[in-house]
Amino acid sequence: MDAILLKELSFGYTKENLFQNFSLSIPEGDFLGIIGPNGSGKTTLLKLIAGLLKSTSGQVLVFGEDLFHRKPKERGRLIGYMPQESHFLWNFKVKEVVLMGRYPYHRRFEREKREDFEIADLAMRLTNIIDLKDRGINNISTGERQRAVLARVLCQNPKILLLDEVTSHLDIGQAIEILRILRHLNTTYKITCLFSSHDINLAAMVAKRILLLAKGQVIACDRPDKVILPELLEKVYSIRPLITTHPKLNIPWVILNLRE
Amino acid sequence: MRNNPSLLLFPLIAIIFLSLSLGPGGVRGEIIFKIRLPRVLLGIFAGGVLSFVGGVLQGLLENPLCDPYILGIASGATFGVSLSLLFGHVSYFFIPPFAFAFSLLSLFFVYTLAQVSGRIQKLSLILSGVLISFLFSSLSILAMTFSKQPLAQIIYLIMGNLSVLFSPLTLMSFLIVFIISLILLYFLFSYAQELNILSTGEEAAISVGIDTERLVRMVFIISSLLTGFVVSFVGSISFVGLVVPHIARALYGYDHRKILPASFLLGSSLLLISDIFARTTAPVELPLSVVTALFGVPFFFYRLRRL
Repeated sequence: MDAILLKELSFGYTKENLFQNFSLSIPEGDFLGIIGPNGSGKTTLLKLIAGLLKSTSGQVLVFGEDLFHRKPKERGRLIGYMPQESHFLWNFKVKEVVLMGRYPYHRRFEREKREDFEIADLAMRLTNIIDLKDRGINNISTGERQRAVLARVLCQNPKILLLDEVTSHLDIGQAIEILRILRHLNTTYKITCLFSSHDINLAAMVAKRILLLAKGQVIACDRPDKVILPELLEKVYSIRPLITTHPKLNIPWVILNLRE
Repeated sequence: MRNNPSLLLFPLIAIIFLSLSLGPGGVRGEIIFKIRLPRVLLGIFAGGVLSFVGGVLQGLLENPLCDPYILGIASGATFGVSLSLLFGHVSYFFIPPFAFAFSLLSLFFVYTLAQVSGRIQKLSLILSGVLISFLFSSLSILAMTFSKQPLAQIIYLIMGNLSVLFSPLTLMSFLIVFIISLILLYFLFSYAQELNILSTGEEAAISVGIDTERLVRMVFIISSLLTGFVVSFVGSISFVGLVVPHIARALYGYDHRKILPASFLLGSSLLLISDIFARTTAPVELPLSVVTALFGVPFFFYRLRRL
């Protein structure tokens, strides 16, 4: 069964629809990198799948069932969404923030149990922030804060992870670290990952498939070497970069050129 | 740093005793029970509820400057009071239900105005609350201009005071309202974890499985009701709902499960202290809002410097 099935989705922020009868299927265990220019609908697509936005027509099916036929807490147990940036008005402790991810498993007035603390610790260890658990969420670096938010999302124990340009505000070291964690989650725990990125090369490094989006339409959705092609990139970005192969990994590698 | 907000109960009890024994007339049973005890109950009610609701709204609307009056309810109640005084001396029994009726009216206006294509958003709540506040404040001043009551008396009634004269009927109605309020507070408290998560962002809350729209709607209505209850009985007491939750956060962190009860206890204590101050330091009883503001401003200044 497909983890996610989008059927004839229509959605727009204004009278003009961004997505019109948009369909896409994502099998379980997939690692999909979504690339495309600004305004192509990367963030909108992820928010539609997460249930943060409602389409005007069409269906989002998650493991066979309509997203909005499920109760909110059920959605919280299935899908984890991580935004590009997180700002915290109140300076909660890192461990308090991470424990919030256990909410979909609690009933009213249920206090956190030992199992919740253990899962939170595991999530913090996976994301390498266990030493920061007692620090304030605003007293750590951006990269550490992103990892804390990832740990919170992991506490939801989701089957699907949606990550919206999460590496955009990270330095290259932090970005690689997050991608390594995601790759580990995908291969070891079989979590279906969808992530959008401005960096095509980073996406190609971890993704099993790449979705190239432009103006709310699928330009290509296939293995990286079938999508990252000069003609397709030129059609979408209006530049014609050099495509070669990564010297160490067997993936396409985009080399930018100022002069053409 | 004490980590248990229920320890705040002890200073509150001490302050209650203090409040019951201080004042003109000394320590006489009749004065204590007929005059000071209702006053103390009003003080606990007003200070506790305003601080609790202030804490809830600051979390819900992700805004540290929120107080219970941001939803426009108090100005509606104030208008109700000034309208009732328009026609000369009115029995004090009339005022609370009149005020409450108008606070319900302003709740209805704010709620309706805040709907953006059928949904309630945090920003539109704040904006429509401010709008309705301006509307009713202006109307209140208009009513006061034409009123037969001396202006000083109106200000005294509106700006918050605990010297309500209770008849057995109004005392009974107040106690019922007090109990209903406690139940509503407990109900809000049961959503403390949701408020925690919502205070870190609406998207975070939705993605973790919270029905934010239902939550915002419900919290708004209950907060408005509670604020309406308080303002109908004691007028608009300023600063308490704004400052006390910040004091609670300074002591206990940001978890609503701790700061909401802490706010209630701290707010009751602070209001009773302010009231003691208001009625014992000057030959004339000071308006309560003045005293709470005098206490609140230096505290806020101190917090500002620590940022």
